Amino acid sequence: MSKQLLGVIDATSFHRNLETLIMNRSAAAIPFGGRYRLIDFILSNMVNSGIENVAVFPEVHYRSLIDHLGSGRDWGLDRKKDGLFFFPSPELEGLSMKTGSFDHFDESLEYFYRSKQPYTIIANSYTVFNMNFMPVLNFHLNSGCDITELQQNGLSMGIYLLKTSLLIELIESRQRTGYSSMAEVTSDVTSCFSVCNYQHEGYATKIESVKGYYEACMKLLTPYVFGQLFTKEQPIYTKVKDEPPSRYTKNASVHHSIVANGVIIEGRVENSILSRGVRIGKGSVIRNSVIMQKCHVGEDCILDTVILDNDVKVANGSRLSGSFDNPLFQKKGHSQGVPLEVM
Amino acid sequence: MYKKKCVAMLLAGGKGSRLNSLTKRIAKPAVPFGGKYRIIDFTLSNCTNSGIHTVGILTQYQPLVLNSYIGIGSTWDLDRKNGGVTVLPPYSEASEVKWYSGTASAIYQNLNYLNEHEPEYVLILSGDHIYKMDYREMLNFHIEKGADTTISVIEVPWREASRFGIMNTDEAFEITEFEEKPSNPKNNLASMGIYIFNWKVLKEYLEMDHRNADSNHDFGKDIIPLLLEERKKLIAYPFKGYWKDVGTVQSLWEANMDLLDEDCELKLFDHSWRIYSVNPNQPPQYLAPEASICDALINEGCIIEGKVEKSVLFQGVTIEEGASVRHSVIMPDAIVGKGCVIEKAIISCGVRVPDGAIIRPKYKEDPVILVSHESILESLMR
Repeated sequence: MSKQLLGVIDATSFHRNLETLIMNRSAAAIPFGGRYRLIDFILSNMVNSGIENVAVFPEVHYRSLIDHLGSGRDWGLDRKKDGLFFFPSPELEGLSMKTGSFDHFDESLEYFYRSKQPYTIIANSYTVFNMNFMPVLNFHLNSGCDITELQQNGLSMGIYLLKTSLLIELIESRQRTGYSSMAEVTSDVTSCFSVCNYQHEGYATKIESVKGYYEACMKLLTPYVFGQLFTKEQPIYTKVKDEPPSRYTKNASVHHSIVANGVIIEGRVENSILSRGVRIGKGSVIRNSVIMQKCHVGEDCILDTVILDNDVKVANGSRLSGSFDNPLFQKKGHSQGVPLEVM
Repeated sequence: MYKKKCVAMLLAGGKGSRLNSLTKRIAKPAVPFGGKYRIIDFTLSNCTNSGIHTVGILTQYQPLVLNSYIGIGSTWDLDRKNGGVTVLPPYSEASEVKWYSGTASAIYQNLNYLNEHEPEYVLILSGDHIYKMDYREMLNFHIEKGADTTISVIEVPWREASRFGIMNTDEAFEITEFEEKPSNPKNNLASMGIYIFNWKVLKEYLEMDHRNADSNHDFGKDIIPLLLEERKKLIAYPFKGYWKDVGTVQSLWEANMDLLDEDCELKLFDHSWRIYSVNPNQPPQYLAPEASICDALINEGCIIEGKVEKSVLFQGVTIEEGASVRHSVIMPDAIVGKGCVIEKAIISCGVRVPDGAIIRPKYKEDPVILVSHESILESLMR
């Protein structure tokens, strides 16, 4: 049953509002939840739905994405038969804001012809959710529709299920029909295809702006959202980093936070998310903030409503703050103030 | 296939009976340690970090968990085209099943494995100890000294020396005498159970030992004394650094508490010598608003609503509201119920401590309390 689905992740979509977060990476590779990248959610959902053949279509800046996914081993996708495939676009022009660019798919048309799975699920790479697609396939088979679109509260999630043969037909006939993406097909009420909607009941959020990113991070601190995303039955997989457990020293005081492994906390942390390998120095206070991988915050700093991208160093005694509507963002590898000695 | 210079043989068949219920269903090398690891992770990580990529692992007692944990060795980067990890359980021959009766007989029965690799040196290890060690340095020492056998030793406090196998040496580190648990030790250099043999010497003496019906087939009791008797060149390699045999419930607890000591020589955060471990694939740790944590080592997948102080928490542990955990080790997937008070205890894997339970020794100096499924059931029956 599950062998009937082919997974396609469109990691090309571009959002101007994410600019600072995607300077050196695609949206799919944005860090989230202390140890994940956005693509981990859709990829894990596919794997947890029994999908064994997944194609990822990345666009520019796919270095960090490929570094993250590797051979697909951490998702159990390093297979002799099927597994994980990458199809970077040779063209860097013409970025599409819609999921499922047929131009891009056309360059790898042979892959779709070769794949044995009769149905395909096409998804964007920047939705944070935990969902099993088997009920969607059942719904699709029972409804007899040409295309099933996933929706949440009546709005499209940018995820579609259809026959692989129909997808090939749509790709090949794109010049004649004028449809350049799945979104265009489903939003055209006059099209000759029947489109059904499948409502997703659980939590899901698209990351389309820095503000939206920050809000999603803060929502993750609520037990409801945390419980929706992280379940024992359908774990979210990610690249293994082999960090030790996190160390809270005698001076540490931590409340209402999410902490990944390999973190050393000597200060006070509240209402924040700390990613793998972060250091918080003595006497520092971190509130309402998102601290990404390997950031080092020195001693006696106060950080409130701040997003630190990977590898940011914050010098002793620094004061940084933003507002909920406009969290202060520090670029990757940026040093705030005097560079710190390696701690 | 190019010839391997050094092949490691890791003895992982021990029962570790002094760990009581912790080793009822798993072998000692599979016992959890340090919030994330199993004891064997330290030895396997030392191998991979030392560039030793051919490792035979000898298992016997309760091997199911251990075997599936080792898998193909990919966790330690030991899934190799040439060499890699090979699990070597006892096997049956035409006449009988040959259980490993001693450390030496375990290696003897796998001479075929070593013959196939035809190495120059064989490194004998045990999966029972917590330490970080570069075996290359020991091998260089062995080659420099022109030894037949090198035994890694560590200085232990004089008052404890009579608990160990003690090596008496001359100034050039040459071993003159070996005393197993001497009542009046002349030296405080204890054997760490790590040996490097010239392969030809090892093969010859294992075969000799096999023919001796009176032998216990043990490295410490038989092979080393025999080598000394035959005037082979035995060298002691003095190791400096953290090393701990976590053979008892008390020492396992102490070694976990050592990790919380800022001056502890065992640095888990040293990235140049990482300790690898099978990834449990859990979400990050979630600390509720009412949580309070200080002086702790906590792994992913933990949900903490209570108070944690000077403790080590493994993956998937839940500390419910109002509970307080101090000076304790909470093993994977254990749940500490609402309002519990836990002090100086080891809570075994998957145990659910019922709400309101109070587990603490009467006096501070009392030994650590080991809490298992059975002991919880027993106390509920009362």
